[in-house]
Amino acid sequence: MPTLIRNERGRLSIRLVHHRERANEKASQPSSADLGASIEINSEDVAVTWRPSRHARRLLTLAAAALLLAVITRRPELAGVAGPPLLLLGAARISPRGRQDRLGIRVGLTATRVYEGEPAALDVTVASDSHDARWSLEPGKCVEPTSAPSVNGQAARFTFTVDRWGKRKVGTVTLRLHDRWRLTEGQVALALPAIDCYPSPAAQRTQVVLSKLPNRLGEHRARVPGDGVEFNGVREFVPGDRQRAINWPATTRRGRLQVNTFAAERSQDVVLLVDATSDVGEPGESALDLGLRGAAGAARAYLAGRDRVGVITYQWGGARWLAPSLGRRQEYRIIDVLIEADTGYSRGAIFSRLPRAALPPGALVVAFSPLLDHRFVEALRDMRERGFSLIVIDVMNAAPPRRRTFADAAARRIWHLEQQAIRFSLRELGVPVVAWDGRTPLDIPLAPYARRPLMSRR
Amino acid sequence: MSPTKVTAATVAGPRLAALLLGAACVAWAAAPLGHDGLAQTALTISIVTVAAGALRLALVDIPEPEDLFLQPGYVRNWLVFLGVLRTWVWEETAVVGILWLEVQHPARPWHTAALGAGLAAYLLVTHIAESGADPAVVLRRQTKLLAVGACLLALGAGFALLPAATPGPGAALLRVLAAAAVIAAAALVLPA
Repeated sequence: MPTLIRNERGRLSIRLVHHRERANEKASQPSSADLGASIEINSEDVAVTWRPSRHARRLLTLAAAALLLAVITRRPELAGVAGPPLLLLGAARISPRGRQDRLGIRVGLTATRVYEGEPAALDVTVASDSHDARWSLEPGKCVEPTSAPSVNGQAARFTFTVDRWGKRKVGTVTLRLHDRWRLTEGQVALALPAIDCYPSPAAQRTQVVLSKLPNRLGEHRARVPGDGVEFNGVREFVPGDRQRAINWPATTRRGRLQVNTFAAERSQDVVLLVDATSDVGEPGESALDLGLRGAAGAARAYLAGRDRVGVITYQWGGARWLAPSLGRRQEYRIIDVLIEADTGYSRGAIFSRLPRAALPPGALVVAFSPLLDHRFVEALRDMRERGFSLIVIDVMNAAPPRRRTFADAAARRIWHLEQQAIRFSLRELGVPVVAWDGRTPLDIPLAPYARRPLMSRR
Repeated sequence: MSPTKVTAATVAGPRLAALLLGAACVAWAAAPLGHDGLAQTALTISIVTVAAGALRLALVDIPEPEDLFLQPGYVRNWLVFLGVLRTWVWEETAVVGILWLEVQHPARPWHTAALGAGLAAYLLVTHIAESGADPAVVLRRQTKLLAVGACLLALGAGFALLPAATPGPGAALLRVLAAAAVIAAAALVLPA
């Protein structure tokens, strides 16, 4: 391949560079292992701690025991038994070449944000090929390795899944290095950064639509006529109507010009309200898990329908909220708010009224709650009295354990009656309460309300 | 370079080899079996420690949970057993036990030299099994040193076959010290 080079006199000349020369040039460059398709998140020089390996300690024991027994029993052949271990120990002592005090390590992740159960991979590379490197991963909480590490020279890939939503630390990756004789062992421990695990969104294809929609262009059919595509009726032509809207069969029948009218297409404001005050049930299937998964699925469904979606997480110490907005980015912003939901009790925390900015007038409020906290139920009643259209999705999927003692059975019955009373009182206020088990799509419990527009009463 | 494939055979092979080599060393050092108390004790210790070392290698992949507080009783007992298995130096104890078993017999230089080779191999294979290293690579790198080590074993056996210049314990001790000095010097000089 022709290449321009400058000779000793400073003149440019053309030289043919062979592929082999190029390969040599490439090889002479500092080696940096490839991180593959992953995103580099950490690259640093770390100190290596060298110490004798277990193999060295065993060889030393063999040599010392053989020499001691040789002297005690006066047998030269036992001194010969000490020969091979002494030889290896001496070799390692005399030629400790290649032991580096610092190593460059690069860490990459295929994704910094994953959904629950979604596989991700961690790539680690060490910028040294003079040692026998062994990698191991100590996974963090809720992080499950899915397969054995794949090692390619000085690089390794660990695949894992995160079982439960939240900000999860991937864990610690440990690199063990051995010298040529495997008598000294270097160890490097590298704490890995946290990864955002999003709740796995529930399946939802249909949407609950309010009967009264704000005057904003969207995709839901409104009751008022407008410039949509769905046929609404026929009326007499008035000057200013478009000619293409003339309905010729109706015009022929009536003898006057008739035009088609169409329904307006509007969007709505949807606020997802997640009750994070109590987290009951098995981890992974708890009420909060179901609430977050349902909210993530609903956010995706309504944003796909061009609605403006916001979120409020109601928790100890107040509420976190995000004002309604549109678009794909809003979905991730909503989930970022969701995964910061905290059920931890903070002393002295008080509930305040839900923020007005997060609740636009006329918005549809979809609440995900186990309805265990009376203050949250009061907040729902307050919203209903302020004129919001509400749907409560009951994510309670646990109950007090069954016991044979009379007191426990009575307490369990009273608890059930109390729960039924809470739901009944909400229904009496005109708030639909539907139960969702977290396994079926959200469309099934919402089907009665998705078929026709939900009446918005003020 | 293609990614290294970790299969059950590559993992189980060195572990099984370590067990077999340990058992062979015990059998080699024990035969013919003496009937005095020390020989029996050394044999028992050797068998137990070789078996425990093999069990440790077999269970090396089982992870330990960080918190034992919420675990049931049988799981706690199992984890305590695993902890003991992983803490004690079984291979070192086995080596001392086997050598002690060997010295219960009258002097047999070539037999002892073969035992030395077996013990070195046992320790090397144990290390390969627990570190997951590629046996071919490890052995290729240490071939020359292992060959020289075999020569040193033969040298020790040869020293033992030479007749003592004068009878008595002092001459025997001097012969041992001479052999040890020659072997140590060779170990220090040859690798350089």
